[in-house]
Amino acid sequence: MKAAFGLTIADKLLVGLVIFLLLSLYGRYWSSATPGERFRVSSIVNGIQTMDFGADRIIAIEGPLGTTRLQIAGNRVRFISSPCHGKQCIHAGWLADAGDFAACLPNRISLTVLGLTKEYDSINF
Amino acid sequence: MSQLIYRAFWSCTLIGVLLLSACSRPEESRLHAAQLLAMGTLVEVSIWGTSDEHAAAVTAQIEQRLRRVEDDFHPTRPGGLKTVNVALAAGRAVAVNDEMADLILRAQHFEEASQGLFNPAIGKLIALWGFQDEEPAKGPPPSANEIQSISDQHPAMSRLQLKNGLLTSHSRAVQLDFGAFAKGYAIDQAVAILRRQGIHDAIVNAGGDLRVIGRHGDRSWRVGIRQPDGHGIIASLALGGDESIVTSGSYERYFDYQGRRYHHIIDPRTGYPAQGLVSVTVLAADAQTADAAATALFVAGKDDWPLIARRMAVDQVMLIDEQGKVYLTREMARRIRFEIKPEPVPVIIKP
Repeated sequence: MKAAFGLTIADKLLVGLVIFLLLSLYGRYWSSATPGERFRVSSIVNGIQTMDFGADRIIAIEGPLGTTRLQIAGNRVRFISSPCHGKQCIHAGWLADAGDFAACLPNRISLTVLGLTKEYDSINF
Repeated sequence: MSQLIYRAFWSCTLIGVLLLSACSRPEESRLHAAQLLAMGTLVEVSIWGTSDEHAAAVTAQIEQRLRRVEDDFHPTRPGGLKTVNVALAAGRAVAVNDEMADLILRAQHFEEASQGLFNPAIGKLIALWGFQDEEPAKGPPPSANEIQSISDQHPAMSRLQLKNGLLTSHSRAVQLDFGAFAKGYAIDQAVAILRRQGIHDAIVNAGGDLRVIGRHGDRSWRVGIRQPDGHGIIASLALGGDESIVTSGSYERYFDYQGRRYHHIIDPRTGYPAQGLVSVTVLAADAQTADAAATALFVAGKDDWPLIARRMAVDQVMLIDEQGKVYLTREMARRIRFEIKPEPVPVIIKP
């Protein structure tokens, strides 16, 4: 059965599949919101640690004010407790895309999600 | 017709796939990043395009230099600056080395240019608020009488006199605290070491204040500016050549007391934390200028900052006020790219 432009149903399915693949590739490598691959925790006490998302877990990071806890779940990470006053780090919520960044400045801890490549070479704050 | 469309489609597909795969992102293997603790913060040194051994050796030199700057210019630890402050409080003249003399002269220059809004002579006030301690300040705020008694003595860099390496003060109230530009000075020292060692492409980031030199391979360095509330990146810009970017923010050090927030940027005119802004970002050629100007503009506030920026010769500035309104100089507006949606509608100002 022939339709517009002389394409068969099989042709149309193939065209659809290829367009889908191209869009997926674009989204994966070129869209501004690239899913994070790993995350980096910087602490004045513990130094800098780069971690894989891996299994769901809660980790403790030490800062000058005390212990800050991070939750990792489903390729996302967030602050869940911190001894700072404002709790702005906790309000930042989940970080999942490459370049996402949050920090607890009073406790000198920052959190950056890393993609295949770094979104930024350095962060000013 | 069918054959023609078929061929055209597969040709376009092939070209698309080739473009996607060929334009891979820049490789990171030539980037050496090292972290060290100095100046009471985390310092990150990123060097592009040298050997592992060379990068490690230069980073070690930088660490040694920054530790010395920290020891010499910490206001309360035993060492150079504390010795100077003890002498000034006792009304005695004190001998200072060339580096200390140089820093005092620079501080006097910035104080004069900022009409006294950048004032490292108010160490007594900073200590009174608890922002000089190693431990984070907890409050309560000092009493109005305590603040007034120091402010009335008008501590200022202009009251210091330096002659033949001997420092004297016309006021015993002068106590030096270089916290408002010591990080900038340390970053500049680190960059000087990089250059002496033949490194031309690097970033030195000390607790968020940074200076870049050169490039990241075939592109400029990409820097993100953190949102004042900590929720990600508000804006980004490409830096290269030799540029510094420093942000002073009320969110960096503060304490809350009885429902009110008191931050660490003290207005020398009042003795209280400066009001009106939450952050000031300054781009300048060197880090100490950017650092001093960010503090001075923060103190100047929403009305007076353009005048102070002009006097301090900085033309690339971003301010965010307590209502979240963004102010940009025209020169900064040309370079910055907002990374949040919806994008802020900035007020563009020519200093």
